[in-house]
Amino acid sequence: MPEQENLQNIQADHVLDTKGLSCPMPLLKVKKTLKTMKKGQVLEVHGTDPGSKNDIPNYCKKHGYQFLGYEDNPENYTRYLIQIE
Amino acid sequence: MPIAEEGEDMTEQASFIKGEIEKAHRTVFLTPWPAWVSGVFLAFLALLIFMWWQTWGIAGGFTNWGDWFFYRLGLYESAPQQGVLLNGWSVSNIGLLVGAFGSALMSRQFAVHRAPRLEYGKGLVGGGLMGVGSAIAAGCNVGGFYSALGMLDLGGVIMMIGLFAGAYLGLRYLLWEMEHVRSAAQSAPHRGSGSGRDWSRAAPYLGVLVFLLVLLAFQAYSWLGHTQMGGLLFFGFLIGLVMHRGRFCFANAFREPFMTGDSTMMRGVMVSLMIYVLGVAAMKWAYIQPPGAGVIHPFWMGSLIGGVIFGFGMLLAGGCASGSLWRAGEGHLKLWLALGGFFLTNSPTTRLLDQSGFRELLGGGVFIPEIATWQGGLVLFYLFSAGIMLLLVWNEQTEKFTAF
Repeated sequence: MPEQENLQNIQADHVLDTKGLSCPMPLLKVKKTLKTMKKGQVLEVHGTDPGSKNDIPNYCKKHGYQFLGYEDNPENYTRYLIQIE
Repeated sequence: MPIAEEGEDMTEQASFIKGEIEKAHRTVFLTPWPAWVSGVFLAFLALLIFMWWQTWGIAGGFTNWGDWFFYRLGLYESAPQQGVLLNGWSVSNIGLLVGAFGSALMSRQFAVHRAPRLEYGKGLVGGGLMGVGSAIAAGCNVGGFYSALGMLDLGGVIMMIGLFAGAYLGLRYLLWEMEHVRSAAQSAPHRGSGSGRDWSRAAPYLGVLVFLLVLLAFQAYSWLGHTQMGGLLFFGFLIGLVMHRGRFCFANAFREPFMTGDSTMMRGVMVSLMIYVLGVAAMKWAYIQPPGAGVIHPFWMGSLIGGVIFGFGMLLAGGCASGSLWRAGEGHLKLWLALGGFFLTNSPTTRLLDQSGFRELLGGGVFIPEIATWQGGLVLFYLFSAGIMLLLVWNEQTEKFTAF
């Protein structure tokens, strides 16, 4: 999944912190949080597990969420952005 | 040809080779592998280990480490028969860990991953449960399930059922924990490791160095007359690489059908088994290896009980026996604790079962071709595999089994 340039400008409705957690906790929390959100809202996930870079986009693709992209933050974590369609 | 042009030719060739190396590096180490690709390589490597030595497993190595640990503490009277560097399972485990470390360096994914306190506890307890489960089932997710089924031992099928049940229960626990445990123990002690930005640039060169050191270790084994052990180190190393690149994980395989419905990993495991069984059948049927090799799993009680306990443990730990090894190689401290918990419980439980006579009550190995003939046994195995695949895909579409 390519990193996108305009991710920094996106305002998230909800931020989920999974830093330090490893598989399966990040995806479990993402699934649970997405279920509580409304159409059009954006979820921002912070994570450090390398596996999430495959898991989160794949999960979104299979379950009809729009994966807006991820970017590596200089503070050694990755930001993921997901929109409910 | 004038000399000047020849020089230009040389630099052109050098930059061509450099470009090709970069392309190969990107393909192998920067692009994630699909699960089934790892599965195919894994089957191939497991078969090589079977030809070269005997059945591949992981828990046996942890038993050896635990035996030494308790012997050194003075709690066991006799020393283990083999040293850590001369026990085949132990050596291939070391290879697996080093292979994942090398692969993580090559992929620039190696980092010391710290975790919240609660996660460390789960790593230790989950590892401990895996140690107990694998002692009861006479093998972990590899020896008790993957290789057991590969060797056409019926206990492998039973452990598969146990692992699904344990993974389901483990997932229910994780969901409960998310709802009810909201303490400081959940928050991450994350801080930017920030030590040197050049680290990730240098990492692939260190990865090459790790590879060269493993080759050197193989030579050393060979000179000392232990070529077989050297080979196991090397095959283990390749397994670590293959598993890391595909993030090949049995905990994921058994959990995802209940968590997200996704069956990509489990189908990768089944593809791998379908190749593994074919190879083992060829070797056993042709008497290249004895037909009874690896048929030791306690059908049905041991495999079932051990499977459930192991499955629950691997959900807590976030990795099975092989997954904990390769994740430890990638730098996850939680999984180092899982490895510790594993050998601390596995060795005493194994001893207790053997000495108390409980082992016999758990059951014994059942060789599928012996009860169903070679022809029938293989047909049954492939029908079983096809049935599992269909069930997985059906669940992916209907999410009938997903827990929430």
